[in-house]
Amino acid sequence: MSQPTQASFTRLEEMVGGSYVVSDAAEIAAREVCGVRPTVVIRPADAAQIAEIVQFAATEKLAIIPTGGCTKLGIGSPPSRYDIALDLSRLNHLLAYDPKDLTLGVEPGMRIEDLLRTLGEQKQFLPLAVPLSERATIGGIVATNSSSPLRHAYGAVRDFCLGMEFVTGEGAQAKSGGRVVKNVTGYDLHKLLIGSLGTLAVITRVNFRTFPMPQAQKTFIASFSLAEAAFDFCRSVAHSVLTPQLVEVADPSAGQLIFSGEAFARILPGQWSAVITAAGQPAVVDRYAKELGHMAAAASAAEFLPVEDEAHVAMFERIQEFPRLALEAAPGAAIFRLSALPNAMPSLIAKLTAIAKQNHADVATLARVSGILYAVFVAENAGSVASLAAAIPEVFRVCSQPEMQASAMLEWCPKELKTAPEVVWGPTRPDFELMRRVKNSFDPQSVLAPGRFAGGI
Amino acid sequence: MQPQLIRELEALLGPKAVLSSAEDLMLYEYDGSVDLGSPRCIVFPESARDVSGIVKLANRYETPIVGRGAGTGLSGGAIARSGGIVIVFSRMNRILEIDGANLRAVVQPGVVNLDLSRAVEHLGLFFAPDPSSQKACTIGGNVSENSGGPHTLAYGVTTNHVTGIELVLTDGEIVRIGGKNIETAGYDLDGLLVGSEGTLALVTEITVRLMRKPEAVKTLLAVYDTLDDTTESVVDITVRAITPAACEMLDGFTLRAVEDYVHAGFPKDCAAVLLIEVEGLKEAVEAQAAEITEVCREHRAREVRAARTDQERNLLWRGRKEAFGAMGRISPMYYVQDGVIPRTRLPETLRRIEEISKKYDLQIGNIFHAGDGNLHPLILFDERDTAQFARVVAAGGEIMRHCIEVGGALTGEHGIGMEKNELMPLIFTPDDLALMERVRTAFNPASLLNPGKVLPMGKACGEIRVPRSPAAAAMAT
Repeated sequence: MSQPTQASFTRLEEMVGGSYVVSDAAEIAAREVCGVRPTVVIRPADAAQIAEIVQFAATEKLAIIPTGGCTKLGIGSPPSRYDIALDLSRLNHLLAYDPKDLTLGVEPGMRIEDLLRTLGEQKQFLPLAVPLSERATIGGIVATNSSSPLRHAYGAVRDFCLGMEFVTGEGAQAKSGGRVVKNVTGYDLHKLLIGSLGTLAVITRVNFRTFPMPQAQKTFIASFSLAEAAFDFCRSVAHSVLTPQLVEVADPSAGQLIFSGEAFARILPGQWSAVITAAGQPAVVDRYAKELGHMAAAASAAEFLPVEDEAHVAMFERIQEFPRLALEAAPGAAIFRLSALPNAMPSLIAKLTAIAKQNHADVATLARVSGILYAVFVAENAGSVASLAAAIPEVFRVCSQPEMQASAMLEWCPKELKTAPEVVWGPTRPDFELMRRVKNSFDPQSVLAPGRFAGGI
Repeated sequence: MQPQLIRELEALLGPKAVLSSAEDLMLYEYDGSVDLGSPRCIVFPESARDVSGIVKLANRYETPIVGRGAGTGLSGGAIARSGGIVIVFSRMNRILEIDGANLRAVVQPGVVNLDLSRAVEHLGLFFAPDPSSQKACTIGGNVSENSGGPHTLAYGVTTNHVTGIELVLTDGEIVRIGGKNIETAGYDLDGLLVGSEGTLALVTEITVRLMRKPEAVKTLLAVYDTLDDTTESVVDITVRAITPAACEMLDGFTLRAVEDYVHAGFPKDCAAVLLIEVEGLKEAVEAQAAEITEVCREHRAREVRAARTDQERNLLWRGRKEAFGAMGRISPMYYVQDGVIPRTRLPETLRRIEEISKKYDLQIGNIFHAGDGNLHPLILFDERDTAQFARVVAAGGEIMRHCIEVGGALTGEHGIGMEKNELMPLIFTPDDLALMERVRTAFNPASLLNPGKVLPMGKACGEIRVPRSPAAAAMAT
């Protein structure tokens, strides 16, 4: 491991211009990753400059982490080296947008809010309703595979990303995929970059397909006193002909964070809430109202509440921002992102609750019923990391039980807890050797975000 | 091939699972298109362990291995280009698990695509990727090629429906990636493997998503007097954010051939038809069908009619899915392309194909997935006419270059294989290809697994390979 020297600074300044090489304390601190700070922040203008910087870093044995809105830098394990924060905020252009083809190409530094605004003018959108959306950028969302409740209907980034351009760990500019909506030309290398936390390449362009905005939307909340009943209700929806935009189950604690305001007064404390959003032509939304009402009655829901207009927008935003709300309420929380089968969710939640109890912690869960579960662990004694430290391996243990078949990643937690990659990623899996081979293909010298990924990659 | 290797394979799998006589090998020389390649032996494993054993033997004898499903592929993916062992997965054809509650199925690679949909039909479910060859093609093949089909417009291609894969690596190790869940912490190895055309590992088990059948389906046939009106309708349907489940186009030449063969009820005197399907809640279907009818009428469709019965609907789809077969009746040979273009460029692209057809004095039929811009121009020819054959190659190249010029890609669903691997430099830079090569080497270091596919070999840069064998054409659907 080496430190950037004065000569390196001079060389970097020559590449991007003096004002784009920054080392003041606030800028450095903003780009801290799990307690590790870079020496310098560089703001390249384009892919060519990035390639030059990465080549230089490879020669000088410096480590780089690409950054965007810095909202999700805490995700992953602490980097083993970190010299240069590559701030991509100058790569913030919409390079191509063909609303008639429903496709676009965008630079990684563009904020999702800015992009959604432009798409909104054409009555289109991307289903990336991700947390910390005010500052989140396209590159960061892709690199963290940030979770959106709209995945239920539209899929995740891997499903609507058409291709990418990027700079590898050797400083080579490369691409895969393309700009058309259907394409099997060459290996889908860009899929590997999704959720890779910057460990494989620096993303310089992402091509997406866009979606038309639905004409009308309405949310329905059915509340139940038991978790099983809420999930049974969702199961009956899944087995019906309805295809909602999102289906989530909030436990009583998560419900308290999500349902705020008078519109939700009828949802009593202690209730499990199933949240379902319908979208489409008005006649379709009316049909949902009728059918969901019948199903809720059949499931003996305590409450069945239609939510629309401003209340719908506010509640949707709180579901989207659930991890942020949870962290604001309990800054020392440990938030797991789990993936589980719909039918396994109630028993998984029961097991997580038992783990919390044994370790003097509370747990709040928000389930995206098609397969993603957020579980927020908060120590009863707010300052105690020990109880969380004890609970974390138990969560991974439960996930690996054959009847659970769940997968987990510790998305957010106090940095003091991250003593080893396994704390964040769980025990090393059999396919780890393949991931290491992928890493070596993209970044043989480990220039990019070393140590941040599973297995210490 | 060393008789010793054959003997060892027979010892491993039993003599009935190994073929090596000249007449048996001939049956495995071709797939759905492109060229021929002679394997030295054919093996039929029954388990991942068998496959692992075969791979270990192949390593020891430094012999190439090619995986093969039903051999319906259209880019030569299953051709033993460098000889060696062809592993046919037809005996690994069991559906291992149907998990209706979680909308998953676990299958062996030799399961026929349509058989899975049939097996889950009683649960109101189906497997979404529906290549035209779905009656024959296998899910292992679909995974290798990342296959599409007409309904991928709404449901996505194979990669959107695979959550887990069991692999046999080139050293014989058996590894699982992904699982039943929609995601696993770590790199998206499923995303890399699906569509890698059998060049990274052999697939021995697949976990797929199942979809619930829609409440209502409506199939519309719009009939046009000009190609321009037809393509403009497609553009307008996309622009107005109507999202049909399928939107297929057949030009007049093609549909006349189809009609003589299938009697689907296509009018024989028109310039083109659109076959459009909408699915969903009945309210949504009615509204969308009305909107589509309006768009088609605005673009001077002569007639827009809906299939009234399931039988009528099936007949229209049979017309579409058997169109390639119908072409075989009127031409000794044809070459089908698979370019993709941005959907807004459809009208000019169809005009360009018409010009190319005139320029080279060739008959070109057009039948394709219009809704996602995936073209399938069919260039008809007689392989005995060598001068004509040269024109076919030139015309094919010109169509392909046009697709690239307007921002498209070489292949939407048929794969690169050995048909288009030398064209890869038209899309990808040396750096792009070097990275792909490196990823391939990371999985397949000695290049024993499906050699000569996907990436250019550098021998004949920019050359398209055109099939010469009529047998290959007969397979192509």
